[in-house]
Amino acid sequence: MQSWFRGPRAVALAGIVAMVLAGGLVAASLATRDDEAPPEPIPVALDSSETTRLLDGIPQKGTVLGRPDAPVTLVEYGDLQCPYCAAWTHEAFPPLVRDYVRKGKLRIEFRGLTFIGPDSDSGLRAALAAGEQGKLWHVVDLLYHNQGHENSGWLSDDTLRQVGTSVEGLDVERMFARRDAMTEHVDAAQAAANASGIDGTPAFEVGPTGGPLTRVQISSLDADALRPAIESALARR
Amino acid sequence: MSDRTLRFCVGALASAGLLVAGYLTYARYSGTTITCSTGGCETVQESSYATLGGVPVPVLGLLGYAALLTTAFFVQDVARAAGAALALGAFVFSAYLLYVQLALIDAVCDWCVVSDAIVTAVVPFAVLRLRR
Repeated sequence: MQSWFRGPRAVALAGIVAMVLAGGLVAASLATRDDEAPPEPIPVALDSSETTRLLDGIPQKGTVLGRPDAPVTLVEYGDLQCPYCAAWTHEAFPPLVRDYVRKGKLRIEFRGLTFIGPDSDSGLRAALAAGEQGKLWHVVDLLYHNQGHENSGWLSDDTLRQVGTSVEGLDVERMFARRDAMTEHVDAAQAAANASGIDGTPAFEVGPTGGPLTRVQISSLDADALRPAIESALARR
Repeated sequence: MSDRTLRFCVGALASAGLLVAGYLTYARYSGTTITCSTGGCETVQESSYATLGGVPVPVLGLLGYAALLTTAFFVQDVARAAGAALALGAFVFSAYLLYVQLALIDAVCDWCVVSDAIVTAVVPFAVLRLRR
């Protein structure tokens, strides 16, 4: 009897197996492609207690969270309207704060980008102005926790006022008054992003504090995606 | 062409493919930036098409090329049939990925195109191994 693996039968068999193989791969690719569709806005009523608890007692200066002498720096590039950034803030930010920032091992610098829309810009300016009072990270965290759809108008002055009022020790009027003075900071973050070739958010760079930063591509939005880079930077100090 | 020559060609091309897929896999897991003349590699690697059920496409390529290379070491009929099936399947899947890059992501990763060329080149050799 002729073998299935020889002659014309083998050609036909190989063809069929190839089609099944390729068909399966294409189907799997199409089926999983929506896995990373933007997450739905997280419906959370404005409640600052979680943010307060997370950040309580951690030094903040300008855009930086954590002790100035922390050996490793993590830079987060984010747009306040970016849903992936909100998801990252939900999933990854609290464990990183607890495991590294609070222990003085890591400082996190926020570089806000504004490519999604004009509200991203006005919101970022408010957050940066809050940074003058050492409260940028409170404002950023609360905005991400109360994020709405991109450019839907959620990031309004009303929202900023509500968020600002809920942050203890933040002078909201001063925050609004200082917004226009933040242009330099907005431009500096954009220039840094351009220099690093960053055109999407969230994006991250890790490195020794004061030293060269390295872009870290994350494969997921949880803390584990950044731990190896942080650990290896810590190990090199 | 003797089967020996065909095996050599399949093996050499699969090895070249392994290098490309290996580099892309390394770049993905180490977070290093891909050396890319088109500038589209990052976009492609970060797109939602870059993984298949959680498995990054470069890893699939790595496995596929490794399997193809393995078939080049054997002379049995089943190895020839498996090699031809793998090469043809990879060719069709590569064509799909090229379509995704051009039509859906609108960015082309030159390393992926190199892999496409390797896959295309290996098909005739792998299929010729079936004729004897």
